[in-house]
Amino acid sequence: MNTTLQQVRLHVWGEYACFTRPEMKVERVSYDVMTPSAARGILEAVLWKPAIRWEVTRIDVLRPIRWISVRRNEVGSVASTRNALAAMHGGGMVALYVEEARQQRAGLLLHDVGYVIHARFKLTDRAGPGDNPAKFADMFRRRAESGQCFNQPYLGCREFSASFSLVPPGEPGPQPIEESRDLGWMLHDVVHENGAATPRFFRARLEDGSLPVPPLTAAEVHG
Amino acid sequence: MILQALAEYYDRKIREDDVALAPQGFERKEIPFLIVLDESGNFVDLEDTRVQEGKRVVGRTFTVPSAVKRTVAVAANLLWDNPGYVFGIDGKGNPARARQQHEAFVAAIRGLRGVQDDAGSAALLSFLERSEFQEVFAHPRWPEVVETGGNLSFRLAGDAELVCQRAAVRDAISAGGGTTETTRTQCLVTGEPDTVARLHPAIKGVRGAQTAGANIVSFNLESFNSYGHTQGFNAPVGARATFAYTTALNYLLRKDSPQRLQLGDAATVFWAERATPLETEITRLFEEPPRDDPDRNVEAVRALFESPRTGTALVDRDDRTRFYVLGLAPNASRLAIRFWHVSTVGELAERIRLHFEDIRIARAPHEPEVLSLFRLLVATASLGKAENIRPALAAEMIRAILEGTAYPRELLAAAVQRNRAERNVTYPRAALVKACLRRADRFNPQPSEPEVTVSLDESNPNPGYRLGRLFAVLERAQEAASPGLNATIRDRFYGAASTTPVTVFPRLLALKNHHVAKLENRGQAVNLEKQIGAIMEGIQEFPALLALPDQGRFSIGYYHQRQAFFTRRNTDHGDDA
Repeated sequence: MNTTLQQVRLHVWGEYACFTRPEMKVERVSYDVMTPSAARGILEAVLWKPAIRWEVTRIDVLRPIRWISVRRNEVGSVASTRNALAAMHGGGMVALYVEEARQQRAGLLLHDVGYVIHARFKLTDRAGPGDNPAKFADMFRRRAESGQCFNQPYLGCREFSASFSLVPPGEPGPQPIEESRDLGWMLHDVVHENGAATPRFFRARLEDGSLPVPPLTAAEVHG
Repeated sequence: MILQALAEYYDRKIREDDVALAPQGFERKEIPFLIVLDESGNFVDLEDTRVQEGKRVVGRTFTVPSAVKRTVAVAANLLWDNPGYVFGIDGKGNPARARQQHEAFVAAIRGLRGVQDDAGSAALLSFLERSEFQEVFAHPRWPEVVETGGNLSFRLAGDAELVCQRAAVRDAISAGGGTTETTRTQCLVTGEPDTVARLHPAIKGVRGAQTAGANIVSFNLESFNSYGHTQGFNAPVGARATFAYTTALNYLLRKDSPQRLQLGDAATVFWAERATPLETEITRLFEEPPRDDPDRNVEAVRALFESPRTGTALVDRDDRTRFYVLGLAPNASRLAIRFWHVSTVGELAERIRLHFEDIRIARAPHEPEVLSLFRLLVATASLGKAENIRPALAAEMIRAILEGTAYPRELLAAAVQRNRAERNVTYPRAALVKACLRRADRFNPQPSEPEVTVSLDESNPNPGYRLGRLFAVLERAQEAASPGLNATIRDRFYGAASTTPVTVFPRLLALKNHHVAKLENRGQAVNLEKQIGAIMEGIQEFPALLALPDQGRFSIGYYHQRQAFFTRRNTDHGDDA
């Protein structure tokens, strides 16, 4: 596997964000700061190819951490796959009657957020012979500059859209807030292997507004 | 962060050797009835441990083995349970199930390792196996047991403690209880490998939630599952961490806890990294004082304001002990986190001081010096009823206090609206409006607007403020001219005067002439005219509309001027202005 040290920096911001804690997934509570997996999601929304895999190295927090509490109407049941299959083969109807499955779920979200994501990418096994790091780096730069994305990037949950812009190399970029604190164990990412999805956690520490993220395979990441 | 902080609090309490927290495998429970046995397992007596507490009788609390989560299946608790399980009493017309319950109870005791060696448990086993319970049923207290269905436990005659509290039994329980789960995953609270808890113990004590208890970590419907996981496996929290955080939270939420406050629909708990006085005092700062100690919150606030030098201060400004505030709201069988705040003790004390500074306003001598949060919020509710307080307002307000930010906009709007609806500016509402305006100015400073003061500020040029003062003087003129009126200009015109002054004030000024003309005391008339003149000097024209902050200033001006009248009357008796 080839590696590359090309760092990219993406400035993202949005009105609301919810990087949901796994243990409080039902009545959502957000982590204080963007998780590496959410950052990876934003990068993949801008550019993803089977040949590359994004690795987040650092997340800068640009706005003070503010919370807002909301209650939203959602549903408690899941649409039945059996019904869907039956409908596909020409019988029955797929329907989820929202009024019968109403669940009200509260959420403790982040309000008015801004981050700079420092990341790099690695080439995976599926990289072809003609693929080289520079090609993808250029592709990413072009897309980020013109605002192209495969799907609208979002901050944790799909309803909280994010706006993004590239921080050109060489520029100092937006400055993080001056805050240092221990954020406890934070979700790094979910690893899919052997058909199972295992979460991995790491000890997150905000240092002068910047969160250093160890690589997924590092010793600090347990799971 | 939240569960981790709670687990650390549990560790801290265990380290400090607090008797109120149960160790792993045990819990604190009320056991109203005790069966006393002798060494050979013969029945001696049936004790009642209940005492009168207010209107109810409450059993004494003991440290007993943890309760099993009871569902429809038969599952017996160890060494204590209700009469159905202990004796097989059938209360529901299902004798087969009652027998199953009794067998399960005996089997649980038999399964305890080392049970034969301990005299207490051996006696208990022989008593249960003999199944001669007629003496128990013949006891005069027995009908009460059946009626209340209260929990029963056992005690050896001559022992002060229960059988389940005997040293040998305690060790057997702590040591045993091995799980069949051998896979160990990383716990997301401690980071250590541990067996994942499938179901978490319930959190009791949150008002509005299920009485059986609710859960923070709960995945009870299929739409909440991810990646094909079910229940607790969606969020791997280890067994030890689960026990720690639920025990700590139940302890903080217990009845009469000094670390718990009910704010709107959210039960709020406070705790710190290390033992500090602020932990228990903070609730006194915000809650209504009890009837038998009405000055309790005044003393607490005064202690907050004391300088550390005098030694009576509540906190040191530089205290960097971490302080946590957690607000929990009920949602059927789940608990939602309404807010979560981490700060240092010093910072928090500063912010609370700031809050009390902001709500300070001139008051009549009989009004309380310190307003509790409840008083402030109920002043914004229609009819002054607590249930009409907007539900999220309390949580938002406490969050604004703790974070030191501006109060929610709804608060100013609610207070001004209430003023209009009730056509009166009361002391709590005036304090609220002043605090809202002060804090909003702090974060969006308007250089042209002077800040709102505690008492009358005659140099304040703001048109809303001046108009409020003018309104108060005009009302005074009317009151002096026609004493004993049922409806003054305040009842008729307050709403219009505070929102669209230009429609009302020219008419009021014309009316004022008639009122002043009616006054017999010419000195008073002259003084009133002089005051009106002084106030009118600062007003160029009557605005067509007053925006919300200016409506707030109108009510403050009105309030300040009226307070000034009453205090001056007290100092200079008679011919006032």
